[in-house]
Amino acid sequence: MMFRLGKLLLRLLSAPRSPTSSGAPPARTDQPEPTLAHILKEFDKCMDVSHRRFASLGMDVVYLSYLVGNEELYRDIIQPFSKASEREAAVILDNPPYAEAKDATACVDGILAGRAAIFFRDKTYLVKIDTSTGRSIEQSESETVISGPHDGFVENMEQNLSVLRRRIKSSHLKTIELPVGEISRSNVVLVYLEGIANDELVQMLIERIRSVEIDSIMDASMFVQLIDENPDSVFPQFLTTERPDAVASKILGGRIAGFVDGSPSVFCTPTSFFDFFSSPDDYYQRWLLGTSLRVLRLFGFLITICFTAFYVSITTFHYEMIPHTMLLNLTESRSRVPFPPLIEALLMEGTIELLREAGARLPTKIGQTIGIVGGIVIGQAAVQAGFTSNILIIAVATSAIASFVIPSYIMSASLRLIRFGLIILAGILGNLGLIMGIGFVMIHLAGITNLGTSYLTPLAPFNFGDVLDTFVRGPFWALRKRPSIVKTKNKVRTKMRK
Amino acid sequence: MKEKLNRFHIGIFIYMIELDVTVFSLPRLVAENFGTNGWLGLLALSLVAFANIGLIHFVYRLGKGRSIFQIIETALPKWCAYPLYVLLAGFWLSVGAFIGKDFILIFQMLAFQSTDSMLIFFMYCLMAYFLLIKDLYSIMKAVTLFFILTTALNGLFPFFFQEWKLIRLTTSFFQDAQPGGHSLYGMAEMYTVFVGYELCMLMFPYVNEKSKLFQGVYFGQLFTVFLQQLFVWVSFGFFSFPELKVLSYPLIHTLEYVEFPFINRMENLIFPFFLFSNLLSTVFFSFASMLCLRRIFPQARPKLIEFFLILGVFLLGYIPKILRQSELLVRHSYFIEIGIAIVLPLLLLLFIKVGQWRQKEVKV
Repeated sequence: MMFRLGKLLLRLLSAPRSPTSSGAPPARTDQPEPTLAHILKEFDKCMDVSHRRFASLGMDVVYLSYLVGNEELYRDIIQPFSKASEREAAVILDNPPYAEAKDATACVDGILAGRAAIFFRDKTYLVKIDTSTGRSIEQSESETVISGPHDGFVENMEQNLSVLRRRIKSSHLKTIELPVGEISRSNVVLVYLEGIANDELVQMLIERIRSVEIDSIMDASMFVQLIDENPDSVFPQFLTTERPDAVASKILGGRIAGFVDGSPSVFCTPTSFFDFFSSPDDYYQRWLLGTSLRVLRLFGFLITICFTAFYVSITTFHYEMIPHTMLLNLTESRSRVPFPPLIEALLMEGTIELLREAGARLPTKIGQTIGIVGGIVIGQAAVQAGFTSNILIIAVATSAIASFVIPSYIMSASLRLIRFGLIILAGILGNLGLIMGIGFVMIHLAGITNLGTSYLTPLAPFNFGDVLDTFVRGPFWALRKRPSIVKTKNKVRTKMRK
Repeated sequence: MKEKLNRFHIGIFIYMIELDVTVFSLPRLVAENFGTNGWLGLLALSLVAFANIGLIHFVYRLGKGRSIFQIIETALPKWCAYPLYVLLAGFWLSVGAFIGKDFILIFQMLAFQSTDSMLIFFMYCLMAYFLLIKDLYSIMKAVTLFFILTTALNGLFPFFFQEWKLIRLTTSFFQDAQPGGHSLYGMAEMYTVFVGYELCMLMFPYVNEKSKLFQGVYFGQLFTVFLQQLFVWVSFGFFSFPELKVLSYPLIHTLEYVEFPFINRMENLIFPFFLFSNLLSTVFFSFASMLCLRRIFPQARPKLIEFFLILGVFLLGYIPKILRQSELLVRHSYFIEIGIAIVLPLLLLLFIKVGQWRQKEVKV
């Protein structure tokens, strides 16, 4: 036993630390040569790998047939090399878009990314001949607006970046590509405006992304959970959106945006809790209308987390709070219900959540039917059967509707979960429980940071200037400064550099 | 990106720590101890608090921003300083516990007569623990939110305009005080409403030049005095003077008159909001206690001291069983705290001088 322990200790002391443990990728010192044999061996048992030989030139071309486009293949491979002499082929390959692959890994990565590997005179070249597949730019289904641009991001990152570039025509718009995912090798592209975004925050985000160790990432909303500071929090800490106009405005405001391969969502950071309550629509309408919508959403936020809990609290502990005129109706309605208000409310909230989830999973047309069946038929029948009081139905339905006015679906879902906690606390300790629950949420929110910035900006730390663009949508003449959360040196919006 | 506290944070910290259980009975205390138009006496008493803050400000300047522990240890050896820290830690923890239990007992009296007060106190302690394990900057962010919620309650003042009569303030000054009023004990009892500002002594290491610590402290104290005056004015004009002297918690009674067409007895909803200010008093006294213990056990595991402190708060909550006991405990511990607020800065000044003499001796 002691001998084993000693051996283990010796091994720990003598063995060099694995470079991956520090988060950095392992250094590749002895890379194999990108030879044809090596590449073919690498793609052994891959039925989609194509090997084309130009015998007259002694040239071999390898690519993945499902990734490349026929037109691109003809333009960059077949047409230039089928009639070229060896000397002409060498000249063509020395010029763009052909680039030499230095090692086997780069060559394999290139082929996987839709490039063709050309083996010619002991050298290997790569040329991009992939074709974009997938849906074309169309309206985002999860973030619709009434007025304003209707385009939404799609799964193709290059297409998304081109949409953004067309919106912000500035050479200061920088894009940094960072590979993530040991197996999937997805790319994450950080986009920011140099001179406006805080360099320290950009660097912090780059380091955080580089330290991610995971086999694959499928979506931006999944990826941000790997880089946020409070992974156990119920609240989303990075704003994700599918709207190019929203991303462009965030970048112009000094934030950093992150595009993820294969994801129509783009994340923006640093983000405050209140950013999840604003919609691009607010800016496309007159400022008074935009302001009233924001106030409505914040009111909706309060209703969604508190209304049912408040019902439970007053019907369990504080009947004296109900005015006399309402009390009779409520008592009559509650008299036939066999459950205490807490159980009654949890049952109804649970039913609403079931309906919502069923509606989201089913095709749109059937989803609507489920809404009607659930909302009207079950609701009506539940009251008539004495299963629940009709006032609770109103409370639960109002809470559910209020949760949908929050533009961010992820935030809305988080708040719905919190609502259950508040209902339970209200059922145990009445109004005090409800206030305690709100207190717990606030304490939790106070501890959340996003890239080291406060999640509660502009309330804590308080910043009056930011309040004008958070709880209200001030007129554009008043929105001269960038938000304080981005910690930019260029605070005035109309100036690029000082 | 380490954030430092600013004067706004400090200001609201002072306000929130002073707004504790004592404020509920403030108008009665003023009526009992000063008599008619006692608000003037309260105003005069607040000058003492300002003078005390001035003394602490002097310590901060002379100590050049050093923490009180650094100042103490320049004059006292560790074996002498550590028992002092333990005493302070124990005392501050008790103050925090008694405030919390007192609030819970008041709430129990209003709404949960049959519920075990320790169950409610357990929840209270849980909240205190989740706050205490955070860094001071995060605690201050929570303080800001709680401040907004509690200060918003002041928007209810217009509800009392209709019933408020200037004539109830009477034309006489300092008449009809209770027997025992106009005495040192009575003044000390009144002064308990200001207890809490002295904890700004512990903020020295968390601020820098830009923070303008004492601007925040003075502003916070001024804001507290303003609101206390408002509470007293509203109560003196709302209730008759003899009525005021018999009401245990005039402030809570005023809340009972707030009614909306769709909701009655608003005090059931409004009163729980005072939980936040009392919770913060408990948390900051526990925080003070934690700083003392961290000085003794700097290597202690994170959250361990905090856990034992809140466990201590919970266990101390068993001492007062009824409201009368807890009020007495709060009052007496506040008397000691008033003493600490005056004596500790004086001692610190002495220690700074001793430290300077020692430095001179070393140079010679």
